[in-house]
Amino acid sequence: MSAQGPSPTSTEIHAGIEQALAAMRTRFPDRFAAATTEQLLRDENAKILGKKGELTSILSQMGKVPADARKAIGESVNALRREVEAAFEEALKALFQAKRKAELEARPFDLTLPGRVPAQLGHRHPLSIVREEVISIFRGMGFAVHDGPEVELEENNFTKLGFPPDHPAVDMQDSFWTTSNHLLRTHTSNIQARAMSSRTPPMAFIAPGAVYRRDDDVTHSPMFHQLEAFLVDENVSMAHLKGVLAEFAERLYGPGTPVRLRPSYFPFVEPGAEVDIGCVFCKQPDGTRVGCNLCKHTGWIEILGCGMIHPVVFEACGIDPEKFTGFALGMGIERIAMLRYGVPDIRLFFENDPRFLSQF
Amino acid sequence: MKASYQWLRSFVPQIPDDPSAFAARITSAGLEVEGVHFYGAGIDPCEIVTVVSMRPHPSKSGLRLVTVDRGAAGTLEVICGAPNVPDPGGMVVLAPLGTTLPAKGMTIERRAIAGVMSEGMLCSESELGLTEEGEGILVLPPGFAKPGTRFIDAVPTAKDVIFEIGLTPNRADCLGHLGLAREAAALYGIPWQPPAPEAPVRFATNGSKAADFIKVTIEDGERCPHYAAAVLTDVTNGPSPLALRYRLASLGVRSISNLVDVTNLVMLEYGHPMHAFDLDRLQGAQIVVRRAKAGEKLKTLDGVDRTLDVDDLVICDGNGPLALAGVMGGGDSEITASTKRVLLECAFFDSRTVRRSARRHGLHTESSHRFERGVDHGDTADALAHAVALTARLADGIAIPGIVVTVGRALERTAVTLRAARMNALLGIDLHFEESLGTLRRLGFEVRIHEKSAAATSSAECLVPTHRPDVAREVDLIEEIGRVHGYDAIPAKLPPIRASREVGDKEESAQKARAAAVAVGLSEAVTLSFLAPKVLAAIGAPPPAVVLRNPLTETQSVMRTSLLPGLLDVVGRARRHGERDVRVFTVGRIFLGGSEPSGLPNEPVVFAAVLAGDRAAYLTKAQPIDVWDAKGAAIAFVERFARRTPDVRALAGSARPAHLHPRGAGVLEIAGTPIGTFGMLHPDVVDALDVGGPVVVLEIELELLAKLGVAATQYVPIPRFPPSTRDIAFVVHDDVAVGDVASAVRTAAGALAERVEIFDRFVGDPVPASHANLAFRIVYRALDRTLTDAEVDAQNERVKQEVGARFGATIRA
Ligand SMILES: [Zn+2]
Repeated sequence: MSAQGPSPTSTEIHAGIEQALAAMRTRFPDRFAAATTEQLLRDENAKILGKKGELTSILSQMGKVPADARKAIGESVNALRREVEAAFEEALKALFQAKRKAELEARPFDLTLPGRVPAQLGHRHPLSIVREEVISIFRGMGFAVHDGPEVELEENNFTKLGFPPDHPAVDMQDSFWTTSNHLLRTHTSNIQARAMSSRTPPMAFIAPGAVYRRDDDVTHSPMFHQLEAFLVDENVSMAHLKGVLAEFAERLYGPGTPVRLRPSYFPFVEPGAEVDIGCVFCKQPDGTRVGCNLCKHTGWIEILGCGMIHPVVFEACGIDPEKFTGFALGMGIERIAMLRYGVPDIRLFFENDPRFLSQF
Repeated sequence: MKASYQWLRSFVPQIPDDPSAFAARITSAGLEVEGVHFYGAGIDPCEIVTVVSMRPHPSKSGLRLVTVDRGAAGTLEVICGAPNVPDPGGMVVLAPLGTTLPAKGMTIERRAIAGVMSEGMLCSESELGLTEEGEGILVLPPGFAKPGTRFIDAVPTAKDVIFEIGLTPNRADCLGHLGLAREAAALYGIPWQPPAPEAPVRFATNGSKAADFIKVTIEDGERCPHYAAAVLTDVTNGPSPLALRYRLASLGVRSISNLVDVTNLVMLEYGHPMHAFDLDRLQGAQIVVRRAKAGEKLKTLDGVDRTLDVDDLVICDGNGPLALAGVMGGGDSEITASTKRVLLECAFFDSRTVRRSARRHGLHTESSHRFERGVDHGDTADALAHAVALTARLADGIAIPGIVVTVGRALERTAVTLRAARMNALLGIDLHFEESLGTLRRLGFEVRIHEKSAAATSSAECLVPTHRPDVAREVDLIEEIGRVHGYDAIPAKLPPIRASREVGDKEESAQKARAAAVAVGLSEAVTLSFLAPKVLAAIGAPPPAVVLRNPLTETQSVMRTSLLPGLLDVVGRARRHGERDVRVFTVGRIFLGGSEPSGLPNEPVVFAAVLAGDRAAYLTKAQPIDVWDAKGAAIAFVERFARRTPDVRALAGSARPAHLHPRGAGVLEIAGTPIGTFGMLHPDVVDALDVGGPVVVLEIELELLAKLGVAATQYVPIPRFPPSTRDIAFVVHDDVAVGDVASAVRTAAGALAERVEIFDRFVGDPVPASHANLAFRIVYRALDRTLTDAEVDAQNERVKQEVGARFGATIRA
């Protein structure tokens, strides 16, 4: 497009420019269509409209055009610029849509491949699951957690709890002794003795932990776990005990789970009772129970022992039994877990087979 | 305690004939029926028949064809293989065709043996399900009953419903049928009738008195408050009648002889143990109740020679000990077939004394079981009179009038005041006071209501009957009333709870540890707290501080001082079951020497984990777990538990914990305080504990960690400017610690480097021998501006120069 040789006339120049513009107008749609990526498209656009682009170089010849023709040429150039700009935006949009379409229509994810677990999660032990759940139920009712030692003084494990000396009640809890008056606690009731000896009512505690008895068979392990809840205050009655038991049963086993108390004997409570819940295995949709092997066809399953704290225990711990009353209830965590998960042998809990642990 | 329904209903006839309803009723009152057995089940059709004639089987030796007379039903012939078929006129028991006898699981059918038809079966006691013993068929004397009489009509005790009752230790009163009858009558609110005293059929009329035959001295009245003795002469010891034998058998007591059976029957009726001595075998016609002398000997009825303790109470004659009081008699004064004169003892011994003796000598008898729980001290005269009458009747003895009663100590009956208001407050119910007192009266209490006053202040004095030694306080009376009334009547009310502060640090630490461990991919094991001392020694744990005096086994004889052996046992066991990949933790107490004045041990809660097998990999070949997995788990655990990142100090050689691998182990520290260790288990320990292959272990002292405190979380502004990332690799000699290079990179990268991490360590071609290629990623970022490429490149170049120079490293792209 450079002007060589004899200077062309302004009319000739004018005609040349119009010719060039016409040529550009016919070619740019193909040039844009041939650009298959955004970068190529932008490059092509720059070749036409950029600072050193074709249209710009045409404009640089305007000085040689007669003044009367400048206006017409300017209008032609601007018209072409607008056409190119619009076409560029169109082409850009088309490119984006094509790319998105390809992205969406690519080969589907194979969701049959296993999920990736960055650090695979472990499993809590079933005894811990039950333990933490029961604790949280009692916490919800206002009980606070209380720890206590597993190696205990005879005084806290038996004497203060009203176990008469040389009495067969002790046979119910055959003990491991470590010295003449230290033993492995046979129940978590030692915590009751400790709490009541060291503080004044009111108190409401849930006491979890390992306990030990000299027993070893399908339903007994020499070490097992208990949870004991106790409440001491003025005017605590057996109706309150039943209220807490009903609430506990509903929260652990579901709404409408019936609870019944059968009189029983534990030295540290009077009256004492064993607690049955309506069998969770043979419950029918209408709420009735048809009986099954697990409930020995009675429709009831024993889950814990309880009672009103014996005045002897209050006296031994320095609490006035005329002023304060209270209740205690205790359950075996293994028993609750065996019932809940259908575990037939208590020893499975302590064998810790990975194939067992991974089920919970 | 086994209870006969028939016997109970003989005292309380109005009990409805519905065994399962009865079982439910007494269970709901605290006498838990654990089982119901049907004694003599299926024997209803069996009848007593007379042997008419007998001939040998034509072809089968040992079998006989017996023709029996069934009275109105005529005669029939049965085949019998028993050797003891009686002569004609003798009586036997026939199971007619169609009879099903569950004891042996058989139904009697017409069948032919070698061509001869049998029309029924002659039965033994074991086939009838009555006793275990007896060879041959049951033979009854001629004239026992009219032929054709149903066996159960002639011997009613041959069929009964037996309840197995799981009695709690406080209910000694129900260890006899009279006590059970009293209880049942009170529960149903129906009358009952204790047996009237029976006069002996034969008694001495020559004016002799029992006191002429025996002199009783109680030397220890504390341990023997009452001793009553009766004498019979001219007794004939022999088998008991069938009715008595079956009554005993149905209740699980073997029949011995009429003299002994009487004492057992009276015990089962009154709940009061008795003892029979052969009076002629006593020296000096005297009984002395005293403590044993050190080293004294007694051969008990079970044939064991026992050395007595001064704490034992013994029954002596002029010579020495005859019996261990309330526990077991001795062989030297035992009743024998030739016994002619018998001394019957019915005494009241102190329950604690009996219990200590029984335990000391490893004996648990029907007698000690009852005395330990407390027998009725008010019924000795009645029980003894009953035994005398029975002995006179069954053994044809002559009763000597006058029971010898010796009192060592007078026993008072307790009077307990019951307040109406207290009763209702404790039960949380509104019971009518007069009705409640009626319950007590039916249970045998003598009740006197105090001066009438407002109902709220009503009270009564209740005299406790001698059969209820368990009742001592008002609350015991309240339980009796609540129990009989039924706990179902008590409403359920949630109490207003005034909250207490938690005293549960250990539980809280354990819960947090579980959550943290599960999140880092560990599964929880719960292991036993006791183990074998040699296991602790094998892993170099502290020696046991708590040793069991009476362990079940040596492998459970000391309390653990480390959690690792339990977990290693889990790994070993899993491997033996073919489970290679194990990642387990446990959280629990260890037992260390204590500083408490009580001498109790310290019981810190600690955490331990063991990893074995392969690391889980995604679609690549799994790699065996190594020490870095332990490091990662340990750091991640501590971070989750305490929100603090522990420092790791490497210990090698002799500085490391002895149970860990000499190639190196890590100590976890927070602010210079060691809180745990990790490493690969020493191969020698792996072998010693039979772990079955390499494992890595970690242990963390949770309480120490908890004491250091959970770091407070403080929000850090999220960077607003973009990072620039540079990867950089060095080839260094392979004995250079990666951590050293990493910290050099860190230092050289300066303040602009937000993060430095190693993402690859490569050994092998093309990396020169004895060298490793370490690849780091450095993330540069400024908080206040976007970094330019130029300044990042410049900083990165400094890293290359400084680190390269320091470690003689070659830089790779
Ligand atoms: Zn059921």
